[in-house]
Amino acid sequence: MKTFEEKWTAWIDGQLTGRELEEFLASLPDKAAAEAEKQSAKQLGSLLREQAVALSNADFFSHQLRERLDRESGPARSAPDAVQTGWWTIRRLLWGGITSLAVFALCTAVVLREKTPSSQSQYLTEILTYRVDPTVSPNATISMFQPKDERVTVLWVEGLQSLPPEYATK
Amino acid sequence: MQTEAPVAQADVSEPDLVKRCQKGDSEAFDELVVRYRTRVFGMIYNMVHNEQDAWDLAQDSFVKAWKSIDRFRGKSSFYTWLYRIVMNVTIDWLRKKQVKAGGTEFDDNVQLREIDPASKTVPRAEALPHQRMERREVRSRIDEAIAQLSPEHRAVILMKEMEDMQYHEIAEALGCSIGTVMSRLFYARKKLQNLLKDVYENV
Repeated sequence: MKTFEEKWTAWIDGQLTGRELEEFLASLPDKAAAEAEKQSAKQLGSLLREQAVALSNADFFSHQLRERLDRESGPARSAPDAVQTGWWTIRRLLWGGITSLAVFALCTAVVLREKTPSSQSQYLTEILTYRVDPTVSPNATISMFQPKDERVTVLWVEGLQSLPPEYATK
Repeated sequence: MQTEAPVAQADVSEPDLVKRCQKGDSEAFDELVVRYRTRVFGMIYNMVHNEQDAWDLAQDSFVKAWKSIDRFRGKSSFYTWLYRIVMNVTIDWLRKKQVKAGGTEFDDNVQLREIDPASKTVPRAEALPHQRMERREVRSRIDEAIAQLSPEHRAVILMKEMEDMQYHEIAEALGCSIGTVMSRLFYARKKLQNLLKDVYENV
């Protein structure tokens, strides 16, 4: 159901036809005044159409627009370049990843190799095999500390009458 | 609808140009710009009443159109779709500027070139000084009257009267119903008739 405003507008623009038009005209209290209004609306339309403005410097308008589009969306306008750039980036990422993995593997190998004792220290062997001579130092006691996780051995000796010559030399 | 296309380019159909644009062909877009730049500029000028602002807003509208051309599905004509962008850009700008009715945004220094109604691109022969002054006065009265309408009412009456667009095209361009378009047209006409009656009866 059209409102009065919609029907009026359609009537002004010649869009009201048939029964709708008849009903609308019959509903108008003053047809002469309505016709004058319609004429006035037509004149208004003519006046507005006469005010069309020209775009001066139309070519410059296009030129400026082209420059702006190139500036603002340059990469997007060149699809092949974008694809190439994409592949270049992917290749670089791939090579970067492989190189990083290789460096990581190398460092890991070096660290593990250093952590694993290849053989027992010659000093430890000597300490373990050392015996204090009971004839020289009868009250001597010897204790040895070797923490499991640390690569150090502490030899604690008490009651020595004299320092064994091996200590002095090592 | 009349366009600005040169004879050589008029053969290229608009859907073909749009398809080429969607593939990134900027030359095809240049052709569309040539076809519609004058009408877009004229429409915006009548909304904002300032040549420099109209120029900038027309540029903004075409830039937006280029950037979103992929989303154009061809359900409406390109022109209706373009006008939707133009109206969004212009109405947003007017709202931001919060133009108050009373013509404060007028630029009296604007030199408008009136053109033959039969052609939107060919300027008339130079008018005599008193004729130019009269036209400027008329133009000023019209601008003042249009400035008293809301952006939406301006858009509706200008699209109808100056662009001769159909109700459904205006509705598409503004994103509203046909009933709303007709209702706005009713009030916009009434208001302009009240404000400009003496002008168009004496011209």
